[in-house]
Amino acid sequence: MKILAKYVDMISWGDQNGNLHPIRFRYSAEDERNVVIKVDKVMQITKENIAGNNMLVFRCQSIICGINKLFELKYEISNCKWILFKIE
Amino acid sequence: MKMEGLYMGKCKEKIIFHIDVNSAFLSWTAADALQHGETVDIRKIAAVIGGDPLSRHGIVLAKSMLAKKYNIKTGESLFSARQKCPKLKVVAPKYDLYVRCSNAMLNILKEYTPVIQRFSIDECFLDFSNMENIYKDTMKLAYDIKDRINRELGFTVNIGIAHNKLLAKMASDFEKPDKVHTLFENEIKKKMWTLPVGDLFMVGRATEPKLHKLNINTIGELANFDINILKTVFKSHGNLIWNYANGIENSKVKPGNLTDMKSMGNSTTMAFDISDRSTAYMVLLSLCETVGMRLRNSQNLCTLVSIEIKNSDFSCYSRQRKLMHATDCTNEIVKTTYSLFDEVWKGEKLRLLGVSVSELCSNENYQISIFDNKDMEKHRALDSAIDKIRMKYGSNSVQRGMFLQSGLKPMSGGVGEDEYAEMSSRL
Repeated sequence: MKILAKYVDMISWGDQNGNLHPIRFRYSAEDERNVVIKVDKVMQITKENIAGNNMLVFRCQSIICGINKLFELKYEISNCKWILFKIE
Repeated sequence: MKMEGLYMGKCKEKIIFHIDVNSAFLSWTAADALQHGETVDIRKIAAVIGGDPLSRHGIVLAKSMLAKKYNIKTGESLFSARQKCPKLKVVAPKYDLYVRCSNAMLNILKEYTPVIQRFSIDECFLDFSNMENIYKDTMKLAYDIKDRINRELGFTVNIGIAHNKLLAKMASDFEKPDKVHTLFENEIKKKMWTLPVGDLFMVGRATEPKLHKLNINTIGELANFDINILKTVFKSHGNLIWNYANGIENSKVKPGNLTDMKSMGNSTTMAFDISDRSTAYMVLLSLCETVGMRLRNSQNLCTLVSIEIKNSDFSCYSRQRKLMHATDCTNEIVKTTYSLFDEVWKGEKLRLLGVSVSELCSNENYQISIFDNKDMEKHRALDSAIDKIRMKYGSNSVQRGMFLQSGLKPMSGGVGEDEYAEMSSRL
């Protein structure tokens, strides 16, 4: 997977147990057009505390333009921002 | 008569760990960058952490291993560092990141023992004495801690293990990075006595040359030197360094690192030379604003005010004055500072100005005097109100009118948003 590390606009929902579920997100690609990706499946959620900064790491899978792609989203708890970290 | 349940054996030795982050500022910056998607790890290239490279405020705060190979030293100017290595990567420091990393490390360490002394932003002492039932294998414990910090937080530490804080601290300074070292009594001769005497804790820029003059070049030579001669030359410091050279030190690991604050001050190096009195006054005022705020925040009053001056030839001098009564009022400190400056300034161009207050006492009881300024209560109320506004809205929310469009900062000196816990250079 290639590292992108782009902040994205995200629609997500939080359940009663405090878990976050990303639904779909939007970001600006290289040619400045907006790309919207629907999160089909969250494979794994891990917690990261690198440099004392708590982040939730979501390993996800979606069908993008007919191809099944893996990507990684990160949720930065300190500032509530979503990052598209890596994508195939 | 049988004495049951009484431990009659020899007192068990303490087990002290000293944790020291490798190239703290650099490692923390690198870890943070990697977490946010940076592909280059600045620990693996020639890089330094340094002040704003665009302005004149630029010195090397931390360097990578590769930067060290170019003979770049901590504290030297970015200009000279770049001359040694033109492709050097310079990254600005982020103090709130460093405090966060330090706190995260401390939170992990607290899971192992409650007896922790935070010695500085990147060093901690841990006491594992009498915990053999919990941690049977000390070395394994050290490796577990070291590896966990690396795995969870993304940076490496060195760990020194010994029976006292001094030896643990010396041990963690052996080969780096990412290592565990021991320094017990039977290892002192082999591991410590061969080192240059300047490597000994508390032997610094002033003591080292004096020791060289006595033909003491290694820690071993210091340890075997006549202590009476050392006491004559260095007074009580001679006793201290002789003990340290022999591994003798028995201070406790102090949770909270509580030592009585003795003084506080701020100084600033200007981007231009100060050549007139009114500009100097403005800089001194901005320093007094910061010192005054910190003094009141620490719930103390001061009775001694001193100023420090460094001119463009880099020679330093200072002057101090004892006040008639203890105070925490910015205006009073400013008046004294101005008068000290007028007494001592020789009229030459200046680079650095510093203001410091000491001989502190608690502000619980304020001694009024018939010589007090009759507006004392008003000034104190004003100071208190201004402090509250600055705490809530930032340091620049209230400033003295003279600083508008002056090009000078209304409050200077000090770094970071949080007043960091007190650090001492003594164990």
